[in-house]
This record gives sequence, structure tokens and C-alpha cells, in this order.
Amino acid sequence: MRKILRVAKREYRTSVRTKGFIIALILMPVMMGGSALAMFLFRGQVDTRDKKIVVLDHSGQVADVIMQAAEARNEAEVIDKETGKKVKPAYIIERVEPDVDDPLAHRLALSDRIRRGELHAFLEIGPNVVHPEKDWETAKIAYYAKNAAIDTIRGWMNGTINNHLRRVRLSDVGVQPQQANEILTWLEIAPLGLVSVDEAGQIKEAQRSSEAEAVGVPLILFFLLFMMIMMGAMPQLQSVMEEKNQRIAEVLLGSLKPFEFMAGKVLGGLAVSLTAASVYVAGGIFLLRRLGLAAFIPYQIIPWFFAFLVLAIIMFGSILAALGATCNDAKDAQNLTFPAMIPVFIPMFLLMPVLQEPASSFATALSLFPPFTPMLMLLRISAPAGIPLWQPWVGLIGVILFALLSIWAGGRVFRVAILMQGMPPKLSNILRWAVRG
Amino acid sequence: MNVVQLEHLTKTFGSVTAVNDLSLNVPQGSIYGFIGPNGSGKTTTLRMIMNIFYPDSGKIEIFGRELDESAKDRIGYLPEERGLYQKMKVRELLQFYGELKSGRKVDNQVDDWLERLDLSDWAHRKVEALSKGMSQKVQFIATIVAKPELIILDEPFTGLDPVNTEAIKDVVLELRSQGATIIFSTHDMSVAERMCDYIFMIFRGEKVLDGTLASIQDKYGSDTLRLRTEAGMTALQDLEGIEKVTDYGRMQELRVQPDSDHQKILAEVMSRTRLLSFELSKPTLHDIFIRIAGPEAKEANHA
Repeated sequence: MRKILRVAKREYRTSVRTKGFIIALILMPVMMGGSALAMFLFRGQVDTRDKKIVVLDHSGQVADVIMQAAEARNEAEVIDKETGKKVKPAYIIERVEPDVDDPLAHRLALSDRIRRGELHAFLEIGPNVVHPEKDWETAKIAYYAKNAAIDTIRGWMNGTINNHLRRVRLSDVGVQPQQANEILTWLEIAPLGLVSVDEAGQIKEAQRSSEAEAVGVPLILFFLLFMMIMMGAMPQLQSVMEEKNQRIAEVLLGSLKPFEFMAGKVLGGLAVSLTAASVYVAGGIFLLRRLGLAAFIPYQIIPWFFAFLVLAIIMFGSILAALGATCNDAKDAQNLTFPAMIPVFIPMFLLMPVLQEPASSFATALSLFPPFTPMLMLLRISAPAGIPLWQPWVGLIGVILFALLSIWAGGRVFRVAILMQGMPPKLSNILRWAVRG
Repeated sequence: MNVVQLEHLTKTFGSVTAVNDLSLNVPQGSIYGFIGPNGSGKTTTLRMIMNIFYPDSGKIEIFGRELDESAKDRIGYLPEERGLYQKMKVRELLQFYGELKSGRKVDNQVDDWLERLDLSDWAHRKVEALSKGMSQKVQFIATIVAKPELIILDEPFTGLDPVNTEAIKDVVLELRSQGATIIFSTHDMSVAERMCDYIFMIFRGEKVLDGTLASIQDKYGSDTLRLRTEAGMTALQDLEGIEKVTDYGRMQELRVQPDSDHQKILAEVMSRTRLLSFELSKPTLHDIFIRIAGPEAKEANHA
């Protein structure tokens, strides 16, 4: 054990004391939250150039309303009242009579104007939009633009036009505008958790459930575990290959058993991951408390996170160290990296289906398959719906057994392969070494 | 007492027999030289003594006990191919290797050895900054820093200049005088002749020589005539009773057939040219090595 710890200490110190570790520690969350951060930072970056839109109104009932709404919007939203700066584009609506003889040629002409940059878009409103039930074909509304599918103006048009059309329909059946307002009132359904009893025995109203809790907590823990596996276990492949290639392995084997060598390396990688994970978890808790979001801290999940982290690193670390021992050079290691990473990446692909239906038998079965258990079980435990308590325990036992198997088989492969030169790391060789030792 | 005792050791890799039925005893406090051509089984034998390779059959006893992992703590091992962590600092690296072996702090010993081998200025530099010779010395310190009782050195002098070779040789002799047992493999026959109490030669996995230099040379007898003549090589053509003539330019070496008379040969040479000097001696280790493993031996084997 002494020798294992000494190797682990060296591994840990050489990893943690490098600038690379500090940079990785900072960069990882930046990369993880990179897109969210970019959206936050660049949220003010709006194209404020005016948008000119032509409206072809076959119904004759909508164009004016759009123009009025656009004017009202331009008045209210385009210029920031406090700073006097233009913060949004103005919508300039131009009403054009539709060409009923050759509508296609007309659309082409307008499209060409868009291509030339004279227009942003054009909207064509069918003649029967007020009563579409009569003839759906003539009740269509079409928005033509370069980027119509993700154009925010289309969304604004949608709301404005439909709101108006509903009022027209209500008015046609004799509803007063005042009543129409009430009829059209829209109520949101509040998402709530479950009612519980607090420590004092009082019934506690359910908390408002938010997207942050439903998706944020499981996602953050899931990605954190993924990153820690990448940091603590993945480097083993390369590192052992280098030690073999540079003949350091033989020097070390003059002092310790191959198994002690491998175990020391895995333990060192584990210590590196635990250090980084502790920094992130402690930092996260501190930050959430400072921001008054202490309610979102999943204290009951954190022990599971660390338990699965430890086992995942032992499991993947031993396999990767053994694979590293089978490599003769950097090219071999490169060829093995992708297949070696598959068990870590598959849970990434299964992320969304498992997160949406954590209690499904599909999610349950996958999360009980040991190589996937740490990441998928953690995802399922941290989802607000929760899962039966036996499942994480059974998963944990499965991972412990699989980790022991990995250490045993990895140790055997490592011992045979670490001094073997010129033998390619073929699956058949690796399996033979694992079985025969 | 024998520090190392090998009995009928055999090791094969696939269809290749690297070591075949090898038995060997290394007495305590001796310097034992392992010689043999490349690929003859020296390193495999050393790795088996280190418990890095397991023999297919046979028995290994170290310090009077059957070999197990605990013996490694008492053995210093310098492998043929040097392996140092390039990114570590010299002092930290030596502390690591020393602590791994001995289980205690070796800071003082590390500093002493760095001083002794003139590496103190490099103690806080990374290994990658060292020259080949310096790396070699660092590796040597790593082997001995934990004060092992048995020191196994696989080609310890390759890549060293004469000054450093002397420095390492002095340390090896000093460690022996302090009671350590040394096994080293070498291709430098003159070093083996000068340093080793016993010489063991392995060839194609088989033991072909084992004993003191004198006992090995005795086997071959005084069959070597070294001559300097005015005519040089031309005067030595077609001499009777000679097995082989080796020309060293200013000096020629004649291997005399076992039943030939040295006097007659000398008289014949003197009748052909003026003799400047002569010496009748035993064959050198170099010569014996060549006789066993050189092209001559290959021809004899093929015949």
C-alpha cells in the first residue's frame, strides 16, 4: 500500500502543480457554460437597422392593423427612454396591392427586392383569414424572408395578426370589445413540486418548480461527472503509454509490482478528480448561497455524486491504464482513445431521453448497466421526479463489482503488456492477456 | 553465502527460448560480470532476478529465500534502457525513486550523491534539460540511493565519457567494499576483466562461461603469441601450427594450435624477419568472447 500511495502522490503532484491543471480548472466550466455565457454576454447585440416589410393583404382586413401595431411598437420599444439610444429595429410596414393576375411573378419581384437588400421580408395574407373554416386553402398567411424559420418578426406578426382576427370573429358574433378582452385572457399554469411536512410537523406548501431545478441541477451534476472522468481517468491511456515508451515502467517495476504501479496511477488520477470536483462543488454551493439560491443546492445528491465519481474513475482508470500498457507508441494510443471513450460518451447521447423520462424502464435498464451507471444513475437521482431508493443502491453495487473486475482484468493486462514491445494492441491479445494473465 | 542462486532457469517467449536451463550462484560481496552478444539472454536473466519476468521453470533464490516481491526493496536495478520522467526535477525524481524503494525520506542521501557525482547544480532542473551522460548518472543514483544490498546494473557504462566512467566505476567498487553485491552486464570486455571477480557468459540462452577470469583463461591455456616484427603481417603468412592470425597493425596476435611448439614457431618467424618483441600469454576475455560468439564460431557451428 505504501508504494501505491507513493506513486499516487507523484501522479497527483505532477498533475496538480502544472499550469495546465489550473487552466483546465478555470476553462472547463467556461467551456461547459460557454454558450449560455455567450448568450448572456451578447444579449444586447441586436441588429437595430430598420426592417422594411411589405404586406400583401388579400383580405383587406389585416394590413392596417399591422401598420398600427408596428407604429405603436416603434413608438414604445425602439428607443430606450432613459438613454435615448436605439435598442431595437423599427418595423416599417409597406402595404402593396397584391397582383391577382400573376401572383407568382409578383412574389418573385418582391423576393428579388429582398435579395437586393431593399426589403427584409414580405407577408401575404389570404382572403379568408377571418373565417378559415370555410376554406383553409384561401386562409393561409405566408411570411417570405431569407431566414423565415427563425425570424423573430414572424413571431411578432403571428401574435399581432391572430389577436386581431380573434377579435374580429368575436365582434362578428356580437361580442363587445370589453367582453372580448376577458374572453381572450390567457392564464399560465404554475409548475409546482409536491406538498410536504416540515420538521415542525407543519404542512408546507409546494415550492414553485423551475426549469433550473428540473433540468439545471441534473445537467450540471451530469456534466461535472463527465468532466471529472475526462480529467481523472482519460489521461491514463496516454500517460501509461509514455511511461512504457520511455522505459520508465521498467525502472519502476524494479521497485514495485505492476499492480501497485497501476493502482498508484489510478489513485493519483482519482485524487486529481476529487480535488477539482471539490473545488467546483464547494464553489457552486458558495455561489448559490451568496446569490440567495440555497434552495437549489441538492445536498442529498452530493454524496451520490462523489460515490459515483470515485467508482467511475477506478473503473475507467484501470481499463484505460491497462489499454495504455498495450500501446507501443503514440499512434497506438491515438487509435485506442476513441473506442476507450465510447462507454463515457454513450451516456451523453442518452442524456435527453433519460432526463425527460427518468422513471421509464428504458432509463432504468440503461442506468443499471455498470459502465453507464455513474453518469445515468446520477442524472436520474437528481431529476426532481426522483426514482425508487433501491435503484441507486443496486447501481452502486453493480459499479463496485464492475470496478473490481476492471481492476482485476486491467491488472493482468497491465502486467503482461507493460514490458512487451512490438505486439499490437489488438482486442484478441488484450482479451487473452486478461483471461490467461 | 550466495546472494543470488539460479537453478535450471528456463524462459521462453513464444517459440524463442531466451534462457535455457541456466544455473548460477552469485556470492555475497562479489562483482559478477554478465557478458554475451546482444539478444543472448542477459537482460531476460536480469529481469527474472528482478521478478519482472517469471521463469517458465526453475528456481530463483535471493538472499537465501525464494524470490518474492519483498526482495525488490533490497535490490537496486538499473535497466539497460534508461527511464526517467522528463518533466520532473532531478532532486524530486531521485527522492521519488529512493522513497519508493526504501519507504523513508532520502533527501540527504540524494544531496550527497548529487554532490559526489557533480550534479548539484542540476538538482532543481528538469530531467529533460540534462545531457545523455548526466541522465545516465542520475539514473545510476536512482539505482543506489536507497542503499541496496544487491545492485544489478544492465550496461552501466554505455554512453559515458571516460571521466564519468571512472566516477561510476569508483562508486561501484566503493559500494562493494561496503558489502554490496554487484551484478553488471557489459559489452566492454576490458572493464569486465578489470572489475569482475566472476564472469558469466551467456550465448543463445545457454551458459557458456562461468568462473573467475583466471579459471576461464586457464581453460584456454597460454595459446596466444603477440609479436612485433619488422616485416609485420607479410612475415606471418602460411606459418605451421597456427590456428589464426589477428592483425592489429603494429602488432600481430597468433593463436597457437594446442599441440604446437611455441619455440619452433618463433624460430620460423625469426628466420623470415627481425623480431622486435614477443609475449606468450593467455587469451583476453575479448578474444574468448569472439571465439565463442564471433563469425568463426558461427562458421564452426554451420560446418
